[in-house]
Amino acid sequence: MDQKRLFAAIALSIGILLIFDVWNRTNRPPAPPPAQVTQSAPAVPAPVPAAGAPGVGVAAPATGSEAAPAAARAPAARLEIRTPRVAGSLNLRGARLDDLVFTTYRETLAPDSPQVRLFAARDSQQPYFAQWGWTAGDGRTRVPDNDTDWTATGGPLAPGQPVTLSWDNGQGQVFEIALSIDEQYMVSAQQRVRNTGSEPASVLPWVRVRREHTPTVAGFYILHEGFTGVLGGRLREVTYSDAKSEAARRSGTALEQETTGGWAGFTDKYWLAAVMPTAPDQTLRASYRHVNEGGGAAGDRWQVDMAPPAPLTIAPGATGELATRLFAGAKEVHLLDGYMDRLNITDFDKAIDFGWFYFLVKPFFLALDWIFRMTGNFGVAILIFTVLIKAAFFPLANKAYHSMARMKVLAPKMTEIKERYKDDPQKAQAEMMALYRSEKVNPASGCLPILIQIPVFFALYKALFVTIEMRHQPFFGWIHDLSAPDPTNLFNLFGLLPFDPAQWSTFLHMPAWALIMGVTMFVQQKLNPPPPDPIQAKIFAWMPIIFTFMLASFPAGLIIYWAWNNTLSVAQQYYIMRHDRRAARAAKVNGAVSKAK
Amino acid sequence: MTRAMTRADGVPAAEPHAVMAAARAPATAAATALKGCVHAYRYTLRGIIGSHCRFYPSCSDYALEALSVHGAARGTLMTAKRILRCNPWNPGGYDPVPGPIPPKG
Repeated sequence: MDQKRLFAAIALSIGILLIFDVWNRTNRPPAPPPAQVTQSAPAVPAPVPAAGAPGVGVAAPATGSEAAPAAARAPAARLEIRTPRVAGSLNLRGARLDDLVFTTYRETLAPDSPQVRLFAARDSQQPYFAQWGWTAGDGRTRVPDNDTDWTATGGPLAPGQPVTLSWDNGQGQVFEIALSIDEQYMVSAQQRVRNTGSEPASVLPWVRVRREHTPTVAGFYILHEGFTGVLGGRLREVTYSDAKSEAARRSGTALEQETTGGWAGFTDKYWLAAVMPTAPDQTLRASYRHVNEGGGAAGDRWQVDMAPPAPLTIAPGATGELATRLFAGAKEVHLLDGYMDRLNITDFDKAIDFGWFYFLVKPFFLALDWIFRMTGNFGVAILIFTVLIKAAFFPLANKAYHSMARMKVLAPKMTEIKERYKDDPQKAQAEMMALYRSEKVNPASGCLPILIQIPVFFALYKALFVTIEMRHQPFFGWIHDLSAPDPTNLFNLFGLLPFDPAQWSTFLHMPAWALIMGVTMFVQQKLNPPPPDPIQAKIFAWMPIIFTFMLASFPAGLIIYWAWNNTLSVAQQYYIMRHDRRAARAAKVNGAVSKAK
Repeated sequence: MTRAMTRADGVPAAEPHAVMAAARAPATAAATALKGCVHAYRYTLRGIIGSHCRFYPSCSDYALEALSVHGAARGTLMTAKRILRCNPWNPGGYDPVPGPIPPKG
C-alpha cells in the first residue's frame, strides 16, 4: 500500500514538473525590447555620502530639460582601448567605459563566432559599463555628469600609454581622470579635482559598475552569479533577486559597507567586472544597489559603487584625489592569483565561486590545470585526477581487506548465522556484528572514510563546475565543449530524426553521456548491499533514473566525471569482492577438511 | 522502525532506552529538524554511496535514537563521536545509544 502510494507520488511529481516546464516555456516572455534608456535618462542614484551632510546625495544634474540639446549634439567622441586581451572604447561623453570585448575568448566554438563582450553601451540590448564621476558634497560645486564631454590627452589607451581625461567646470575646479591599463584586464584610474578657485570645494568622487539589464543566469544552485565582493575581509555574495528584495526595503541599497582594501563588482560564470581601491589600506564605502526605471523586468538597474566615506573638502589651490582600479576580464585562476599577490587585493581569487570547500576546491583546480597542461586535453585531465583521488582513498576505504585472513576462519560461522536467521535479516546482521566484535574483524570500512570522501568528491565536482579552463575544451568523440551539455539526444535517436525534442521540454534532452552515467550508477548500486528497508530499496532503484534526468543538462565534463567516478568505484569494489570470494572459497575448503577429520 | 531487539546472548537490547527516554527528552524543534536531515540522508545520499557501517545499530539508526533520547545538542555530539568511531581501526560491532543520564543527587 505504502509503496503504491510512493510510486503514485513520484509519477505525479514528474508529471507536474513536466507540465510546468512546458507551460513555463510557452509563457516565457519574448526577448526583451531594446532598452528605452537614453543618454538623457535621469542619472542613477550616485553613491550617497555620509548621512547628515546637508545637501549631498544629489545625483548629477542630468535633467529632462537637457534631453533635447543633448540629442541634437554631435555624436560623442570615443577613446579607443587596445591591449593584447581586450578591445573597446571609452565614451568621452560621461566618462563611461561601455564598450569592451575579450579578444581571446569567443562566444561559441565556431571560428568566426563573435568575441565575448563584457561592456556594452546604454543604447544596446544589454547595457553594462564602468564609470568614474563625482557628486557635489556642498550642493553647489558644479560636477561632471552623464552629458559632460571630456577631453582626452591622446590615445589610444594601451599598456604603457596612459591617457588623462579632463574637464573644467568653469567655476575654478578642474576635473581629471588619469587612466592606464595593463597587458591583461586591469584599468587604473586616478580621479583628481584641482581647485583653482578662491572658495573650498566639496566633492565626493566615486567609481561604479552598472548593469542596466538583468543577465541570464545559469541558475545552478552550485554556482553564484550576481553581486560579489570582499568587503571588510569577508566575501559578500548577493544574487540579483536577493538584492532586489533587499533594495526594495532599504531605498535602493541592498548592501552598504565600509571596507579597507577589498573589491566589489558583478560576476558571471566566467567573467568579472569589479572595482577596488588602489591602496590596500585605503578605506572606501562600497554599495550594492538596485533601482527600477520604467517598470518591468526591462527596467531593472544594478550597480556596485565605491566612494570615500565622506566628501572631500578641497581648499583653494589644493587637489583632491581618489585612486581606484577596475578589473574587467575573465576569471582565470592564475591571473587572479597574480593580481592578488602583486597588487595586494584581499581574496581576489574568491571572485571564482570556490565555495565553502575553498581549501579543497582551489588546490584541485590547480592540480587539474597542471595535468591539463601536461596532457593537453582537459577531459583526460579529469580522468587522471579522479583516478589519483580514488587511489589516495583506496587504502582507507579498504583497510578491511587486511583482516581477510581471519575472515576465512569466520566464514563457516557466518554461513551458519545466515542460515539460522534466514527470515530475519536484521537479526542476522546483529548477530554478525557481535561475531565481528568478538573475533576483531569487520568487512565494512566504516562510515567515517565514506563521509570524508563526500566533501572531496564534491570539491572536485565544484572545481569542474567553476573552471573557465574547461570552457570550449574538447573531449573524444562528439564532445567538443566540456563546459556545455552533451549535444546528442536519445529522443531523436541521436540525430537520426530531423528534429530536436528538447525544444518542447528540457526533459526531452537525454544525451548519450547521461545514459552512460545512469548505467554506471545502476551497476555501482547493484554492488552495494541493498538497504534493509523496502521503501528505501524502491527509492534507490529509481535513483539512477532520477539522476540521469537531473544531470542531463549539466556540462558534459561533469557527467563524464560522474560516470568515470562510478566506473572506478565499481572496479574497486569488484577487485575487493574477488578477493573476498577467494578467501571464502579457501575457508570452505578448510572447513571441509576439518569436518572430514 | 520496530525491531525485535531481544538478544539471547546477553547483549542488552537498545529499544527500552528509547521507550524510557521518549517520555524524558523533550522533542525540540532542533532535534526534530536534525532527525529530518538523517531521514533525508537515508533516502538520498545513502542510495549513492551505499552502507558501510561497522556497527549495529548503524550510524544513522544511532543518530535517530540519540537525538530522540538525548535531544539536539547531546544527540549531535554523540552521533559525531559515533561516526568518528566508525573507522577501519575500530573493531565495530554492537554499540547501542547509552541510556539517559540519571538526575544527580
